[in-house]
Amino acid sequence: MPEINAGDTAWVLTSTALVMLMTPGLALFYGGLVRRKNVLSTIMHSFFILGLVSVTWVLWGYTLAFGPDTGMGLIGGFDWLALEGVTGEPSDVYATTVPHLAFMAFQMMFAIITPALITGAFAERKRFKAFVLFAVAWSTLVYAPIAHWVWSPDGWLFNLGVLDFAGGTVVHLSSGVAALVAALFIGRRTGLIEAATEPHDVPMTVLGAGLLWFGWFGFNAGSALGANGLAATAFVTTNTAAAMAAITWVTISWLHKGTPSVLGAAIGAVAGLVAITPAAGYVTPAAAILIGLGVGVVCYGAAQLRLRARVDDALDVFAVHGVGGAFGAVATGVFATVAVNAGGVNGLLAGNGGQVLTQLLAVGAVGAYSAVVTAGILFVINLVVAIRVPAPAEEAGLDLAQHGEIAYQP
Amino acid sequence: MVIAALICFAALLVAWMFAPDEGSAFEGTATVFEPELAPAT
Repeated sequence: MPEINAGDTAWVLTSTALVMLMTPGLALFYGGLVRRKNVLSTIMHSFFILGLVSVTWVLWGYTLAFGPDTGMGLIGGFDWLALEGVTGEPSDVYATTVPHLAFMAFQMMFAIITPALITGAFAERKRFKAFVLFAVAWSTLVYAPIAHWVWSPDGWLFNLGVLDFAGGTVVHLSSGVAALVAALFIGRRTGLIEAATEPHDVPMTVLGAGLLWFGWFGFNAGSALGANGLAATAFVTTNTAAAMAAITWVTISWLHKGTPSVLGAAIGAVAGLVAITPAAGYVTPAAAILIGLGVGVVCYGAAQLRLRARVDDALDVFAVHGVGGAFGAVATGVFATVAVNAGGVNGLLAGNGGQVLTQLLAVGAVGAYSAVVTAGILFVINLVVAIRVPAPAEEAGLDLAQHGEIAYQP
Repeated sequence: MVIAALICFAALLVAWMFAPDEGSAFEGTATVFEPELAPAT
């Protein structure tokens, strides 16, 4: 019978709270990037998901993602519906030194922030009612199965040896691809001359990025699921990659556009955090510097390409989370070493080139599944509730048109 | 208890489906809430 370790339990519960704070942080990050007439609606997307997915995760999300497998490594069964059987005693399978409920709550916070990430793609034009239905469907039909594939010991990608320490594929790639599909489905915002607008409040965005960075220590170091050396490794690699990506993004934008952008520092840090997520517990701090550098370059380029393509992924969710998540997943296959984590495997630089192919398979499978199912969900919801608000509402702003409130008095 | 909890959530889903949707009829005061662009740098 597994026994509870007090230190591990304290760290996992603390990390759960840290990850919870990321979703309000994301709300501020996104809220600052939109126009002032849409700041409340953008914040509301993240904040409402915090409530919505908390409930659906307890009712059916956790059992679908982490419950005993239904037989093919694709999804869990209903054994733990409404957390029946999930108690204060440790699980036999997951995080065996902490209460099962603590592990469940930690994973809940991941399930919450993942659909919240997507909301940046359809900001300023999505009908709230359609958004609610989308969030329920997406977290059930896309997030839960992918989490099962990668993190359940019965999951098919887990059993192929895919490395994803804290959710590079499960969280970031899946949401980034879904964001691109959503942006294409819903179409560009009305009246935009370019495929971007100036953010209405850069300090709000920087504050949000700071909260995300802070919370990410729980996201990655908490994924060690214990108060131990692995958590310390993940903590350091996380901070290192974020720092390197931030200064890389600023440098590139400085050379490209002539000024060291504050917004670039914030977005660059987030890109670094995304890329180190799958690798945090498998790579050295030196590798984290290279990952931060690489993702800064790659995601900056992706954001520029997105602008040229005139795809209105309003807040660059695909460029940062989709591309950054895929980059991080592949980089994990390059830099992973058992010298850091004896429970992992070696990557390309440690003589195991096959791990890169395994990581690429995961990127392809998760990306394709997310794209197809997201498109299906959007298509069906659009038959029931028009996803896009009418033009007058979009022109007036969703704060007033959808929520009857405004953020700032004129 | 599990069934009761599921039914409660299902009731919320139904409520959301039939809740008023102000946006569909909005013809409002766009001029008051024109975007104010922040400086680029």
